[in-house]
Amino acid sequence: MHTPQILEGRHLVVTGFTGFLAKVLVAMILEEVPGIGRITLLVRPRGRLRPAVRRVEEALERSPVFRRLRQRHGEHLSEWLGARLDPIDADLEQPGCGLDPAALQRLASADVILHCAGLTDFAPDPLKALSANVIAAAQIAELARGQQVPLVHVSTAYVAGCPDRVEIPETLEPGVAPSGEPFDVGAEIRALQLACRHGDARTSAGARIELGMARADALGWPNIYTYTKGLAEHLLAQQEGLDLTVVRPSIVECARRYPFPGWNEGLNTAGPLAWLISTAFRRLPTVPEHRFDVVPVDDVAQGLGAICAAAIEGRAGGVFQLASSDHNPFTFDRAVELTGLGMRRWARASGTPLERAVLAQLDPVPVPADRPGPLAIDRLARWVPRVRRALEPDRRSAWLPPALERLLQPALERATEELASAQQSLDRVSAMLELYRPFIHDHDWVFHTERARALTHDEDTFRFDLSDLCWRRYWVDVEYPGLRTWCIPLIEGRGVPSDPAQTPRLRLGRPEAEARVASK
Amino acid sequence: MHTEPTGRQAAFFRAEGVLVSRPAHLAAAWLAANAQHLGQRAARLGAVALAAPLSLGLGDSSVGHRVAWSALRGMSADRIAVLGEEYAATQLLDRLRPAGVDLLERSRRDGCTIVLISDLIDEIVAPVGAMLRADHVVCNHLEYRNRRATGRLMDPIATRFGGGTLRAFADDHGLDLSASRAYGAFASDQVLLASVRLPCAVSPDRGLRRIALDLDWPVVER
Repeated sequence: MHTPQILEGRHLVVTGFTGFLAKVLVAMILEEVPGIGRITLLVRPRGRLRPAVRRVEEALERSPVFRRLRQRHGEHLSEWLGARLDPIDADLEQPGCGLDPAALQRLASADVILHCAGLTDFAPDPLKALSANVIAAAQIAELARGQQVPLVHVSTAYVAGCPDRVEIPETLEPGVAPSGEPFDVGAEIRALQLACRHGDARTSAGARIELGMARADALGWPNIYTYTKGLAEHLLAQQEGLDLTVVRPSIVECARRYPFPGWNEGLNTAGPLAWLISTAFRRLPTVPEHRFDVVPVDDVAQGLGAICAAAIEGRAGGVFQLASSDHNPFTFDRAVELTGLGMRRWARASGTPLERAVLAQLDPVPVPADRPGPLAIDRLARWVPRVRRALEPDRRSAWLPPALERLLQPALERATEELASAQQSLDRVSAMLELYRPFIHDHDWVFHTERARALTHDEDTFRFDLSDLCWRRYWVDVEYPGLRTWCIPLIEGRGVPSDPAQTPRLRLGRPEAEARVASK
Repeated sequence: MHTEPTGRQAAFFRAEGVLVSRPAHLAAAWLAANAQHLGQRAARLGAVALAAPLSLGLGDSSVGHRVAWSALRGMSADRIAVLGEEYAATQLLDRLRPAGVDLLERSRRDGCTIVLISDLIDEIVAPVGAMLRADHVVCNHLEYRNRRATGRLMDPIATRFGGGTLRAFADDHGLDLSASRAYGAFASDQVLLASVRLPCAVSPDRGLRRIALDLDWPVVER
């Protein structure tokens, strides 16, 4: 049986609906499996005014992901969705996921729990990352065990950390860190929590981040995100009586087909890099032949849908990686060059005159981190403060004749201000490159996906296989325009387009959903 | 004795001079000027600049084409494909010669199979062929190794399309040359035009004009 038939009449519980991936997956299931029994969405309320149901309704009304469903069902949308979606207020970091007995009762018929929620910042406060990525996963696992349903836990391929090996299989060795060191996951979590509550770390988020990064590095993880996601995997793998499947996507990027080509949401990995090399900084420190493991979000959603169906049937379990590097590798030299070409094409269609005339003509190039050239960011970051200091009023009199100083004073003041702003940008970019360095420079991972591809090979819609993806077409015609529309404006502090609110307002009801599952 | 045609009638159009005004060398120069590294651009342009005098000096335009396209050596297949599409869109498609396009449409209405022949590379000609709805495109192909251009054109090169290569092409595609027509603009198109029943010179250069007058071929001016 294929995924749509397996999911017919089933009850899915999904976390992370307000994020990028889960929204695409829920929309895809609603569209491809209209006979789905019910999808319960565990969503954290935002105060009294925005309970889970309202947050879900807002997404359904305004997010472009649901555009096709809105067009298809028109004025019957509320009724149609109300029969299938069931948002519940939840706080995954609290015992029992913060669910009251009535809410728990609504989960009694669940067939599978899909845990997509998480904090994806590379270097967040480790306490927040622990709560969002580890404690929440443990609570969800407890819920799945209590309900006796399989748990599909979405992790990241980069929990592989920084091992000496290049090939990363679809396996997990519980209690062994990427550095090869055995470790006790429970003790590690407690030690990190304790360390974050003592000394400078108690009051300073910066000190906590430093501590978290040091601990991650000691165990072989490149940052706090992969460290906490890794801890969650190890913790769940040791839980007795849990029917666990771990899904590890690599870098999830713009949709290639669904809901439409180019769809993206929030700040993902490639967005800041594309933004960086679309500005005056054209030299990206990276190793040209290293693999940049990108997967379109809809391909991940397809794979995830099929894995959920397999988990319901007891055919999943273990680890599935959803990545591209083993069967259709994309390298950094291509990524950098195609980003430049994408920018050129975008500028021709909708760029400013400056972008068309100058920036589009200056192609980005990959440079080795140890030989970054005269215009390297860290070199500029060293020179800008020196020039700025030399231009300060008390210093410039030492080298500038008084008559010339008086003449140039307004221009010098302006230049000093602009250099201050440039220094801030350079510091921000330097910090960003430092965070990205393990992924774009230091390591070359090949994530194996044989299990995921074998599981889905006879599927029509819910298939994971990127062999047919033309990276050139995808990057230039889909990814770069998608980033320009949905991601780069956020980096630049601007808004992104959203769809107009529905009239009348979308309202979800539940009675029909109860009936559909009851009759399963 | 009159014999019935054995295949379909075709209309062969040499793109340069008939449908597009820009010579192929200019496309090579444009791509060279858009190399990824600024430092490579001048060197590549220098190679293209050698092509025209070499063609004239040796009297063989195929040598010039080989030299011009060799300027793309080391350029990635991605870059050539994306820039090729851009060149077609910005430099060719909205500057097609109306007289040539009229002849092509008329040939299509007459039931001819449309064959476009060009000295350009396939990355550039493909969008032109698609826009003109050509049934076949004969053009140059760059050789690639590890997704980088070697700078060599693969044989046979389109500049020499005529005579044996034309007959082989016609046989392969079921075309009857004795019922076909061809349009060219340069003296180097003589072999192509002489191989069909209805040759036609379109805004010809001096060499082809003289040949057309000698052989009594029709001449179409823009």
